[in-house]
Amino acid sequence: MQPLHVQLFDLTLIQLTNWRWSWRASVIVSVIAPVFMIVVLSVFAGDDNPEVLGYVLTGNMVLTLLMEGVNKVSGHFMFIRTNGTLDYFASLPVYRISIILATVGAFLVLSLPAVIATLAIGTAILGLPLNINPMIIVVVPLISISLSGLGAIIGLLARNPAETSSFGLLISMFLFGFGPVLYPVDRFPEIISTLSLLSPATYAASALRQVVLGMPDRIPLTVDIAVLAGIAVVLLWVVNSRIEWRGR
Amino acid sequence: MTAYEINHLTRYYPNQSQPANDDISLVIEEGEFFGLLGDNGAGKTTLVKQMANLLKPSSGQVSLFGKLVSDSPLYASQHIGYMPQSGMALNNVTVDEALYFAAHLRGWSRADARQERDRLVDLLQLGEVRKRTMFQMSGGQKRLVALATCMAARPPIMILDEPTNDLAPQTRIRVWDILREANANDGTTVILVTHNVLEAEKVIQRVAIMKDGKVIAKGRPGALKAQLSRQLHLEVIFSPNIPPTLPGSVKPHQISPGRWHLLIERDEAATYINSLSHDLAVEDFRLSTATLEDLYLSMVGPA
Repeated sequence: MQPLHVQLFDLTLIQLTNWRWSWRASVIVSVIAPVFMIVVLSVFAGDDNPEVLGYVLTGNMVLTLLMEGVNKVSGHFMFIRTNGTLDYFASLPVYRISIILATVGAFLVLSLPAVIATLAIGTAILGLPLNINPMIIVVVPLISISLSGLGAIIGLLARNPAETSSFGLLISMFLFGFGPVLYPVDRFPEIISTLSLLSPATYAASALRQVVLGMPDRIPLTVDIAVLAGIAVVLLWVVNSRIEWRGR
Repeated sequence: MTAYEINHLTRYYPNQSQPANDDISLVIEEGEFFGLLGDNGAGKTTLVKQMANLLKPSSGQVSLFGKLVSDSPLYASQHIGYMPQSGMALNNVTVDEALYFAAHLRGWSRADARQERDRLVDLLQLGEVRKRTMFQMSGGQKRLVALATCMAARPPIMILDEPTNDLAPQTRIRVWDILREANANDGTTVILVTHNVLEAEKVIQRVAIMKDGKVIAKGRPGALKAQLSRQLHLEVIFSPNIPPTLPGSVKPHQISPGRWHLLIERDEAATYINSLSHDLAVEDFRLSTATLEDLYLSMVGPA
């Protein structure tokens, strides 16, 4: 039996083969909606407040990660449940957590070109100065993993592909619109501002604003990172305990 | 040594009142070529999935080499290769990748896994398609790859669920030869789920016949067929559009258009031969002792 890190490497490569021909189209699809939003919210709305534009840029990076993490991961977990892939992996001497981490890792790799493209195109359109913090290499994976964990749970709990797709989209849009992701916190009612602290997208957007643009935020970066890490651990634990694996 | 010992295994699926497996007890010895026969819905796949620890029994136990498979999640997977009925689950890997990863994840070194990949490509004659992904292959080719993946790293036990489905006749013969060689030369225990009783009879050493979730017969094919010692197997070949008239009341089992199999009483044989010899629709007929298929059909009934 191979050690965990070897299993993870092999299984991640296997999962990445799912996009060997479709990754370009997948990236384009994940970038189109955020870039369209950036254009609409900045150029056509005519808002040139740098703080608002910063929210628009990082909020749409969160949208990209939501589309990759929640929508696509939920669909993928539904697919591997229904086409026998989980049984195939379970028949091999690999840990259950290996296949979960490999799947989430593959989606992280796949989300990076879309996030970078959204950042590059958005920055060019909005004319914002970047102030990249090295912690971005921790923040982006943490956001991707925590949102992928959420997507995996949807894919495991839904009864069919249509339900998965609907719930994935609904939850993505809810997280995107609920709280200071796309607009500053002072534009929301107090109750929404408070409740938004329950949403992972709030911490994702806050962390991105701080590591991409150096914008100050009501939530310190360390808190964002700690909360995102906590969400990732809890959600992956739930996935590990719910997945239909070896006789459950 | 005993490979599998199954005791009073019962499995219910949610919202179903009848069990898919009902109090099954079986012993499969190491190195055996064991056949599991039964009609659709008889519970064969449910049984082998529990043997592979892919499904949890509602009650009862499965022991593999003396250890309960339920005690350790990874134990069964370290000893078996499992070929599911549904074909190859990984759609976007190439043949080469599927074989390499299967051997490597079963614990072989990278170099050995590459050698194993090449051996299996040669053995199953997959050279022309080795760079193709499953999406680019026919149903029969996918079955071959699934079989090769199951064989990768030479697991001591192979559980094969309908391995010859979708295969062309010549390829089926080759697959049976490969499985027979793996059993005879490597001592691999082969547990075979199949509908193809006629072909399976040539390779299996012991058999269990399932119906409605229960094992209704088990033993060596020869010993089981002794139950039909007073009967004979009659194969009739005729023009598909002109079925012959049979003298008795036995209902024929159609193997393919223009080909019937019948199980007749020995003392009726002369009557049948006389009738078929004078029937212009009959192109050929053959009489032999009863086959495992006859036994199977007499127990589970024709499909």
